Amino acid sequence: MSLPVSPRRVARMAGIAVTVTLAVCLVAPLVVTAAGAFVHADWYGQRSEGAAAGGALGLFRYVLGLWSGAVVTSLRLVGTVVPLALFIGTPAAFAFRRRPFPGSGSLETLAMTPLAIPGIALAVGLLLGAGRTPRFGLLVAGHLAYTLPLVLKTVSNALEGESVDLERAARSLGAGPWKTAAWVTLPRLVPGLVLSALLVFAVSWGEFNVSFLLATPLVQTFPAGLYLTYTTNSFPVAAAATLIFLAPILPAFLAIQALGGEEFRRGLSS
Amino acid sequence: MWPLARLAAGAFSSSGAFLQVLSAGRYRTSLVNSLALSTAAAFVSVALALVPAWVFARERFPGRNLVRTAVSLPLTFSGVLVGFLVIVMLGRIGAVPKLAGLVTGREWFAGSAFTLTGLFLAYLYFEIPRAVMTLEAAFRHFPPELDAAARSLGAGPITRLLRVTLPYAAPALFSTLAVTFSASMGSFGVALVLSRRFTVAPLEIYTELTAFLNDAVAGALCVALAALTFGVDRLLARRAA
Repeated sequence: MSLPVSPRRVARMAGIAVTVTLAVCLVAPLVVTAAGAFVHADWYGQRSEGAAAGGALGLFRYVLGLWSGAVVTSLRLVGTVVPLALFIGTPAAFAFRRRPFPGSGSLETLAMTPLAIPGIALAVGLLLGAGRTPRFGLLVAGHLAYTLPLVLKTVSNALEGESVDLERAARSLGAGPWKTAAWVTLPRLVPGLVLSALLVFAVSWGEFNVSFLLATPLVQTFPAGLYLTYTTNSFPVAAAATLIFLAPILPAFLAIQALGGEEFRRGLSS
Repeated sequence: MWPLARLAAGAFSSSGAFLQVLSAGRYRTSLVNSLALSTAAAFVSVALALVPAWVFARERFPGRNLVRTAVSLPLTFSGVLVGFLVIVMLGRIGAVPKLAGLVTGREWFAGSAFTLTGLFLAYLYFEIPRAVMTLEAAFRHFPPELDAAARSLGAGPITRLLRVTLPYAAPALFSTLAVTFSASMGSFGVALVLSRRFTVAPLEIYTELTAFLNDAVAGALCVALAALTFGVDRLLARRAA
């Protein structure tokens, strides 16, 4: 007697069912949160901030008003960290791959260590190293420590994928090293640089340890504000703040996945 | 690297701090808790990730990309956000107790977000996507001929799993364990939001730093945590190589 379906088929369907179930479980909390930000229902509990804000977007306007300073700080931070990480990381990766110098191997290992140590150790080290006086520059330094390794990895991968023949050809045709870098190497690195910028943006925007421990009441970052909202505000406000927090990071994440960003497998530090 | 050197210097210059961290029950407990929780979370998340990783690496089905994006989405959530999501589901008026109340008349799991169960589920929540993505990359390189060859030689499914697939996948399993373990050891935001009585090392560091202004102990705890994480990570990575 033969089975109506092959065991291989049953295993396949079971595997897909398990995977879909897992996906639903992982997304469910986000769906409940999003619903909480848009649906005004008693089911979600009462607002502790007084009368409900008017309209579907009233809640979002309220949250943005509450945390406008923190959002601006985080935007400034991202706006500083992304160009700096690219400007430092790209030439460094180029030097490591194309023109190694004595000690460049250890320097590269050193630059990669922040990925291997707990984020809070890095943040505390920065804070105590600066004599407990947090500054905007320290926030930038902490974020650079996290994001530079990502740029180094991404650009290195892109450089390794490129053959050096083109660069050699340019040199043999009389182009100097700078001209070769600017007109031959750099244009072919553009996809890698875009991926790097997206990675740095996503990690810098979402990073919590440094952003929280090195923030002060005057220089408040959005991740720190998010934590304060979770501990003090009502659920609808917290839900709206969460959605605002995720709004820039989700498109960046989708773009990273579309570009095949394997470097994001470790995600944000939790 | 400079902040780390500063940390280590600070911790060693006040020699008492290190002894305190290693001997005093409170600090040692936090380190042991971190180790235990991270180890458990690493093993369970890798076990749960095996099937989805295999499915993503091997099967094509309608909606695959959507499901894969959904599974990897939590990679973009920082720790406090994960903590909040667990409260949303399992808090005192969380979605799960509310639904359970509607169905069974009793609000099961109400407030379990703030217990060890909630903390462990939060760890799984941010570890599973990492584990799935890391394993998937490894499974994609699994040569199907190996399995076919074993089958043609008469090996049953269980023999093939134990003698062919698992040995081949072992390095990937070890490196995935390393990734998830290190991420859990450093997890601060989740415990900050969720932990009530149960303490983990990053939380203890934060308390020493902000509540007791005890920089020396905080620094020593940081060094101990970093050393533990780095040590286990290297150990697992060597098995993976």
